[in-house]
Formats: sequence, C-alpha cells, structure tokens
Amino acid sequence: MRDVGKFRNNMRIILGFLITLFSVLVVFLGYSILTYGESWFATPYNPRLQQTISSVDMGAVYDVNGQKLAWSVGDERNYDDEKRLRLSTAHVLGDVTGMTIGAQTRFGKYLYGKAQSIGDRVEAVIQGSTGKGSDVYLTIDSELSEYAYKLLDERNGAVVVMNYKTGELLIHTNYPSFDPVSVAEDELIDTALVDRVTMGRYPPGSTMKIITAAAAIDAGIDFEYECTGETLVDNVLIRCAGGSAHGEEDLAKAFTSSCNTYFALLSVKLGEERLLEAAKKFGFNEEFNFSDITLYKSNFELSGKESDLAWAGVGQYKDLVTPLHMTMITSAVANRGLMPEPKLLKAVSTNGSMSHQAVPTVYREVLSANTAEILAGMMERVVRMGTATSAAVENVIVCGKTGTAEYTVDGEIKNHSWFTGYIADEEYPYAISVIVEGAGYGSKYASPLAQKVLNKIVNG
Amino acid sequence: MTIKKFSTYFIMTLLQMFIITAFGLLSLREGFFDVRAIVWGFVLALYILLQYNMLRSAFRFMDQFVLLTAQFLFSLGMVMLYRMDPDAAIKQFAIYILSTFIMIAAILVIRKAKQLEKYYIFYMVFALILLIAPALIGRTIGGAKNWISIGGISIQPSEFAKVLYILVSAFYLNNKTTIREFIPYVLFTGLCVLILVFEKDLGAALLICGTFIIMFLAATGRIFLTGLGCMGIGLGAVLCAKLFPHVQNRVNVWRDPWSVYYEGGYQIVQGLMALASGGLFGTGLGLGMPSYIPASTTDYIFAVIGEEFGIIVAIFVILFYVLLIVRGILIAINARNTFDALLVFGCCSMLALQSFIIIGGVIKLIPLTGITLPFVSSGGTSIMNSMLMLGIIEGIAVKNGEIDEEKLDLMEGVIV
Repeated sequence: MRDVGKFRNNMRIILGFLITLFSVLVVFLGYSILTYGESWFATPYNPRLQQTISSVDMGAVYDVNGQKLAWSVGDERNYDDEKRLRLSTAHVLGDVTGMTIGAQTRFGKYLYGKAQSIGDRVEAVIQGSTGKGSDVYLTIDSELSEYAYKLLDERNGAVVVMNYKTGELLIHTNYPSFDPVSVAEDELIDTALVDRVTMGRYPPGSTMKIITAAAAIDAGIDFEYECTGETLVDNVLIRCAGGSAHGEEDLAKAFTSSCNTYFALLSVKLGEERLLEAAKKFGFNEEFNFSDITLYKSNFELSGKESDLAWAGVGQYKDLVTPLHMTMITSAVANRGLMPEPKLLKAVSTNGSMSHQAVPTVYREVLSANTAEILAGMMERVVRMGTATSAAVENVIVCGKTGTAEYTVDGEIKNHSWFTGYIADEEYPYAISVIVEGAGYGSKYASPLAQKVLNKIVNG
Repeated sequence: MTIKKFSTYFIMTLLQMFIITAFGLLSLREGFFDVRAIVWGFVLALYILLQYNMLRSAFRFMDQFVLLTAQFLFSLGMVMLYRMDPDAAIKQFAIYILSTFIMIAAILVIRKAKQLEKYYIFYMVFALILLIAPALIGRTIGGAKNWISIGGISIQPSEFAKVLYILVSAFYLNNKTTIREFIPYVLFTGLCVLILVFEKDLGAALLICGTFIIMFLAATGRIFLTGLGCMGIGLGAVLCAKLFPHVQNRVNVWRDPWSVYYEGGYQIVQGLMALASGGLFGTGLGLGMPSYIPASTTDYIFAVIGEEFGIIVAIFVILFYVLLIVRGILIAINARNTFDALLVFGCCSMLALQSFIIIGGVIKLIPLTGITLPFVSSGGTSIMNSMLMLGIIEGIAVKNGEIDEEKLDLMEGVIV
C-alpha cells in the first residue's frame, strides 16, 4: 500500500495539468476561429457556399463608383455586358462555380446573407421571401481597371493600384484573364485562372533596391565608388544592366541609375543579418493574413555565400515578390514608413442600410519617417532624371523605381519588366506596381504603362 | 443541503428544457411538423429524469454533478445524432438504456467488491484477447482495423480493453514498488500499444500511452522516470512515423491540411470550415451542413456542434468535460484506499485524454487520430464503455459516502 497523502498531492497537481490542457483547447479554438475563421469559410472547398446559392438570393457586387459588376436573377449570376470589363475585374470578383477565389467567395458571408443580424433574417422569413443576401461595394474602379487591362495589350502581366493612405485597391487586373460568365465551359488560356497580383511570385529585380537602400540608410552606410559596369564578388561576376559603366557615384546616384555593382557591394557591406532583417521587416517570408484578400508569401533567403548575398540585394538569387506586396512596399515609402493593409471591401449594404465601412489599417511601421523621406527623395530622382523618366505625369510629382528581373526559360535568359511607384500628392495618394512578363527593360515597358494609368487617374 | 438540492434540480430543469427545445426545433426543420421528433424528445427527457431520480434514490451518495454532466453530454449527442440520422439516434438511445444497467452493475460491484484486483492476470489476458481479436477476425472501418462483427452488430473490442487496462494499472501501481516488479506491466502496456498501432487505431494507442504516464506519475510521483517514459513514448512515436506511412501521413496532413486537400486533408478541412461557418453563435440547429464532414456522427461530432451551436457552446462543451474531470478526481482524492483512488483517477484521466485527443484533433491543435468523444459520439461500444467508467467513478463516490456515514454514526453523540 502506498502513502495516501502524497498520492493525493500528485493527483491535485495532475488535475491542474489536465485543466491547463483543456484551457489550451479553449484558447486555441477561440483564437483560430477569430483569426482564420473568415478565410477558412471563404474557400472554394467550402460546399456550404455553393449550396446556399439556391436557397438565398445572392447579393450584388458594385465597384467604388456604384457600377454594378455582378448580380443575381433567380439562380442565374449576371455580369456586366462589356466583355473587356468582365475580364479586367475577373480575378477580383472571382466566379460562383468554385473555380477561383475572388470577392464573391471571400465576401460570401455577406452576399449570401450569413452575416446579417438575426432580426434581418427573421424578417425575411416572416415576409415569406427566401432571404436576400447583402450587396457588397468594392474599392475597385472598374473603368480604370478596364483601361489598365487594355494597356497590357495581351501581354502576360499585372497592374495594381492602391491608395497608400487607406490601403484601398483601385485597380487589380491581370492578363490573361477569364470570363466569369462562362469560366466553367471556356477553353482557358494557360494560367488564366492565376491572379498574378496576389499569387504571381516574381523575382523583383531592381525594385528590391528600395529595401536594400532602406537597410543602408538605417545602417548609415553610404560610400563613394566608381562603377565600371562590372565587379567580382566572391569570384562571381556582377554586371550592370547592359554592361553600362555608371562612373563615380554614391548611394543616391546609384539608386537613380539602378547600378547593380554598387548595390551588390552595398549588400556585402550590410551583411546577411541586416539585409535579411530589412526584408523581413518589409514582409518577406511572412504568411499574410488579411481580412479582404489572400496574398501569397514573398520569399527572401540567403545561403551564406557572399555572391548570393550580392545577387539577393539586387533582387535576384531566390528573391520573389508578388505585385501587390511590391505595391505595399512602395506605399510604405509614400506613407511615411507606414505599410497599409490592402483593402478590397468598401462597404456592405443590407436593405439599403450601409455597414462594414472599410477602415484604414496600418499593417506595420516598416520605416522611420526620416528614412522614408530620404527614400522618397531618391525615388523622386529616379523619375525626374533616372531610369524611369518615362513614368513622369503632368501636374503631379511621381516617384518610382524600375526593375528588370532576369529569369531563364529553357536556357534562354528573359527579363520581366517592373515598375513600382507612387504619386506624391495629397489629392491622389496612389501607389502603383506594373509587371509585364518577359517584356524586357522596366524603363521600356512597365514605366510607360504605369505613366498612362497614373495620367488617367490624375488628368482623366 | 437545501441549496445543493435546489441547484441540482435547477440544472435538471435546464437540461429538460434543452432537450425539449432542441427536439422541438428538429420537429420543425423539414418545413412540416414532424411528430416523431417531438415524441422522441419527450421520451429522452423523461428517461433522463427517470434515470436521475432512480439513481439518486438508489445511491444516496453518488456524485450528482458527474451524473448530470454525463447526461447533458449524452443529450447533446442525441440531439445532434437525431438531426443527422434519426434511426442511428434511436439505436443509440436503446444502447444507452442498456448502458444504464452496465453502469448500475459497475456501481454495485465497485461498492462491494474487495478482491477486485486479485484477478489482474485474467484482466491482462482478456485485454490482449480483445485487442488482438479484430486483427484476426475483424474488418476495417475508417482506415482502422479495430472492429469485429457479431451477428450483424459491429463492436469495437478495444473500447472494453481500456477499462481492463485501467484495472491492471491500478493493481500494479498500488502493489508494486520496485522497477523490477513493474517490468511485466510496462511490457503489457507496450504490447497493447503496439497491437493498436498495427491495427491503425492510433487514437487508442495514444490514449493508452497517455493514461500510462499520468497514472504512473500520480502513483509514484517520480518525475525523472515519468520524463523518461515520456521520452520513450516520443521516441516511439517518431519511430512509428518513420516505419508506418499511415502515421507519417497523419502528421503531414496536420501540418497543412489545405495543401493535401485531396490526399487526406479533406476531413480536417471540412471540419475547420464547419467550425468557421458556425462562427460564435452557430448557424442554428438543423441549418448546418454536416453531411460534408466524414464521420460527422462519431469522431467529428464536435465540429457539427461547433457549426450549428457556435463556438461559444463548443467551448462550454469543453468546460463540461473539465467539470466532469474535476469532480471525478475529487472523488479519487477522497477515496479511502489507494487502489480505489487509482481506479477512479485512471478512469477520469482516460476520459479527459480521450476528449482532449479528439477535440484537439478536430480543431487542428494536434494531429488527428480517430477516437470517439465520450458520451457524445454515436457508437454503441463507446457509450457502453463511457457509462462503465462513469459507473466506476460513481461506485467509489458511493463507497466514500458510505464510509463517511459509518464514521459519523460511530461519532454520534460526540458531535452536536
């Protein structure tokens, strides 16, 4: 026989342990539902969404100007008559057949009336109706989206415009796209279902220099150097675009001319730790969990080799970024260091009364206001006298950065054409990112395209 | 005393109201008035009341909160089951009535028997036979080969092996002290676990391991050896994952069920979506879509409760298990001899671990291993086993009460 007293004590302690286990259950359950509940609910895997369509009159989707983009008549889902408008907003809207995840899935709980108060639902039952979902207003401007889509001119790529103060997405368009009316039957262009803005992970090329420069400014590193068009790092040759020699330069000048060799040496000077820290601060390697939009993870990794560090600092090696994330990075520079969370939902309207108004949310402070200001100055110079002069817009100041991101297809070297920038104007607080796949130099394709879009926004 | 009486009757009234309201809702869900549902609701409510009053008058000292908690959990299970599959619910109800007798038998045996532990060899052999039987004559349900079919009724013998395991554990931990004496017990445990892993009944294997560790720690208080045991089990788990693809698969699915949706992630994803669809307050009884969740009436019933009643009620269900365990372990602490204490403690820990393993699996806190939610899940053997354990817990409670009373009788006149 054992000692009963000691024994009771042991049991009390284990009881405490068991209670702790169950507390973990409760906390974990509450936490995961409150954090991930909405994104778990709004996946195409969820058969509850499709099932609801037949029992509830699904609400309509409007753009920011009140233009109707999608609406239901009985069981049928209707879209705008203009095909190009449908294509230009297809990835934002998504379809209702479960092939893509867009606003119609994401905001399904409003559209199917699941988020309505019990009073509203009871009222619907009393009135004998099948129940009507709420209408959803997006932050998207469909007219501008269509314009940007047209400018892509059947070249694979994406255009995204975001209000850098509020995070509201104005343009979110991709080529190739699909027609939500007939997506289930159409023979689709390869990758047409991919929402490049949020899922397209591209090497950032020189647009990455924004982050490298930010790290250098914070570390107080700025050196003089003479660029000869190429340099050796750890016995690996780093070349400037087109092999052009930029001559005598400092950080600001190297940024303006987008000098690879300068930034390669700068990255080595910064070292792995500081560059990785800067990239992480800007949201690389991070699982984003936004309420309105699913954004794929951007990638930044280092190997311990100096040459890889040098390439990573100029946006090559294993760097990958989505156009929307790039827009968020630029927005942080424009918004005095505060990175906004992207927003897509403007408001929800139930029987004429508005709810769920978009609230601007700062995702994170990624830069000090001072560093942001220095970077802004550098980006302003890029458009005024550097590689992105083709992005200048009349009546406003545009700041930006071009990128030419190398990738290989079947041994052949090709270049993605990048531009990211913003309008430095209180009245037009918009940041833009443009990528044209395999087009060539950023300054030749992406920045003129961005110029046209921004010009349309500002000057009509 | 008056307060206690009032409060238990108050809880009973709430329980009755819950059953009647829930079945009332179920009778309306088809769009017309379904008399059958409301009749079954009244039958269930009446039986719960009858069972409560009968047990309370037969055994004055039984713990009423433990009984009420179990009754509530069972009623909740019945509501969910009737909502999904009325025929299965009625079958479950019949087995519950039978289980009440098993429970009463357990109380009577536990209260009177003094030599229960003497037959430990018999328990060990019987437990092993029960565990091995399905491998020889069993059939596979839900990926696990742990069922045998007798006369058209499927039973899961490993359920009964659980109670036998607790009996064996209580005997060894009570009577043996040296490590050498523990060797047969440890070997027995290892053998049980190995058989279960081979039969792909990972939930039960995990449950036996957990119960072993907890009971050992309670009985000996030897932290170093317990730690060693935990490490051994952890090592065994890693080895299992390396050796058996089905174990490794479970872990991969748990890490990211969304990426392997079509290769095994389906159940977890559907469960999470069901919980997410319910939100805080639930879709309402009968308005969820449990038909998309595999094993919605058995292992995954917690997800269905979450979907239709909401997260807040789901959290209350977890708290009800805590209540059951706290009351149960208090009975163990109050027990007059160490064997009784270990027996009750073993039952409570097993019920606790079982509910933790399956709820944790459903909400993706730990890798999913199929196991029933005690008292709630559909499943004849499961409910019988849960009621058997309840009987053991209540039996010791009754014994404790009676010993107290005897002592009080002896002291009569001393205390005013």
